[in-house]
Amino acid sequence: MDSLVVENLGKCYILPGTGQDKQTSTFRQRLQPWRGDGDESAREFWALRDVSFRLEPGTILGIIGANGAGKTTLLKILARVIMPTTGRVVGVGRVVSLLELGAGFDPDLPADENVVMNAAMLGIPKHEALRRLPDIFEFAGVERFEGTPVKHYSSGMYLRLAFSVAINMNPQILLADEILAVGDQAFQEKCLQRIAEAAATGLTVLFVSHDMEAIMRLCNRAMWINAGQIVKTGEPEAVVDEYQNAVWSQADASRSEKGRRANRFAEVVAIRLVSAAGRDIGGAPISEDVFVKTRLNILKTHCKVRCALDVNTRGHLLFRSTDTDVHRLGDPGVYEILAKIPANLLAESLYTVTVSCIMTRHDEPQEFPLVAYNALTFIAFSTEDAAAPIAGRLQKPGLIAPKLEWTVRAEEANAARV
Amino acid sequence: MQLAFRRLLGWGPSAAAEEAEERNWRRHKWVIEPSRMGFFARVEEVWRYRRILWFFAIQRVKDRYEGTTLGPFWLFARPLMPIAISTLVFGQLLNVPSENVPYFLFFLAGSSCWRIFERSMLWVTQSLEAAKGLIKKVYFPRIIAPIASVAPAITEFAILFTLLVLSCVVYWIKDGVFYLRLGVGMLAGVAAVLLTCFFALAVGLWTSVLQVRHKDVRYSIRYVSQFWNYATPVIYPMSKIPAKYHILMYLNPMAPLVEMYKWGMLGIGQFPAKELASGLVISAIVFAAGLVYFNRSEAASVDKL
Repeated sequence: MDSLVVENLGKCYILPGTGQDKQTSTFRQRLQPWRGDGDESAREFWALRDVSFRLEPGTILGIIGANGAGKTTLLKILARVIMPTTGRVVGVGRVVSLLELGAGFDPDLPADENVVMNAAMLGIPKHEALRRLPDIFEFAGVERFEGTPVKHYSSGMYLRLAFSVAINMNPQILLADEILAVGDQAFQEKCLQRIAEAAATGLTVLFVSHDMEAIMRLCNRAMWINAGQIVKTGEPEAVVDEYQNAVWSQADASRSEKGRRANRFAEVVAIRLVSAAGRDIGGAPISEDVFVKTRLNILKTHCKVRCALDVNTRGHLLFRSTDTDVHRLGDPGVYEILAKIPANLLAESLYTVTVSCIMTRHDEPQEFPLVAYNALTFIAFSTEDAAAPIAGRLQKPGLIAPKLEWTVRAEEANAARV
Repeated sequence: MQLAFRRLLGWGPSAAAEEAEERNWRRHKWVIEPSRMGFFARVEEVWRYRRILWFFAIQRVKDRYEGTTLGPFWLFARPLMPIAISTLVFGQLLNVPSENVPYFLFFLAGSSCWRIFERSMLWVTQSLEAAKGLIKKVYFPRIIAPIASVAPAITEFAILFTLLVLSCVVYWIKDGVFYLRLGVGMLAGVAAVLLTCFFALAVGLWTSVLQVRHKDVRYSIRYVSQFWNYATPVIYPMSKIPAKYHILMYLNPMAPLVEMYKWGMLGIGQFPAKELASGLVISAIVFAAGLVYFNRSEAASVDKL
């Protein structure tokens, strides 16, 4: 039997309009909040639309998507904090939710009373809650502060307590929104492990995170939501890959670095660091080839482009490398330009990349530059064992650390003698 | 220990009952739909969540009376001050009739009942706002918040009643007459208090939802209750009301309740049978309609919290 069935779920908010029509809304309308304000200029906004899925017990569903995609709205509806506009949800068992970094704690109450209160909300009698108290505090690591009002807790302690309470209430469904955002590595590890254990005994988890690594490790299913709708559901690996590819194609105009990122012919859509497999990476492993991937949206036909890459580190221009060829582009559309930074070139340092392109058109003599200053900053890190003697003793930290080819051989004259 | 003791007395659920309930929670099939729950589903739900109702009720009482340094002093001083002043003004200066008991006792009894109503109505009105932090994070039937916030009315009654008894003792020593009515009649007074709480909740169901969207409600409620106070026989006896305005006593459910309390506790005035019947019908209608209104507006209003 499915533990959670969601059918055509939708949530519509009425955005406040210009307010001009508000004057004309009748008193009667205003007293009937379920009919809306009567403000005609108000616009509808569907935070969630036609979302359907079903989950079996033991599923750990990772929910991914950009900010504002509707992930939190979905969890809030499932937690019954907000009411859906359309659709239906049928679930079985106790639901525990960790929304927006916190459980339902009363900040003025001490931790132990908050536990009793949360238990009461889940139909667990007080004596049972008190019996579980030591376990809860031990897992959260806040034994010494059980009588302290939770408003005096640090955000890490608060989150640890919230998670510990949630998992110790024996829920059948756990809704977790960004629980890994706060909390140190050790606690994250503990959380993930505990979730996995509980899932093995039939707990269904809906897990929202921007940490793709955690999604792929923990979840056995993933769902990608964009603009309130499900884009793809399936194996975490596949969904995460597709999601990351799509993030690429999104114009992030919000990034307003200095420089001409657009001209008459083209605009820079995105500049990212990717691995050889094409996956988005935040840092460059020194021992692997990495690529600076520039997406250009070409607006006119018959453009020609030549690109250059400036790599800076510690305030120095390390090098500028210019493409030796001028590339003719055909129809307008999005083009990818890849610049390979070979393995074993960079040192363990922070690099900043500026991408510049020179655009020309076949019938115009004029050149149009397109420059994205400091478009990308990434760290290069060594994947070799730091304890290896090479890394520590024999390498000096420079701006770059190319791996040179070494040969040792006998001189020819010498060789003749032997 | 406490639990074992309670079980020994057969008070509180047995271990088996709790286990059955736990199983029920695990297997409980819930549905979330935009359409509102039916009445019986609601009642059943509030029952499932009764523990949190109890927790909130105790919490609200604690909020009210904990954390003050002078503690017990305030409990009695707060209601006593305005009563003393009013006695001076209405009883001494204006000579308002008080049905053969000292005006102080007359006013204390009347305003006890009124005060319970006024305070409860305020608490209920603010209940959603006060529980906002929790309402936005976790689910429990929202109606539990207003219901639980009536709880301090019980302690308020205990305080005011103690005050009344103490004052009667003082007058007994002073005048040699014990004004308090001892006997079954007092149950009428207790009933009046319970009905007052019920009516306050009925009104509060409306105001608590309304104040989320219309701040006016929050501001105006104090003014309204002042006028209401004068329209209720608190500072004057019901018998002083001219016959042509007596219809107001039928329309204002608080009037017979205050009168009933005075009748029950001090044995003064008439038992307002007809007015009470009318008042109860009005309260029941306000309450039922309030439930419907609360149920309908709940979701939309919680979005606005």
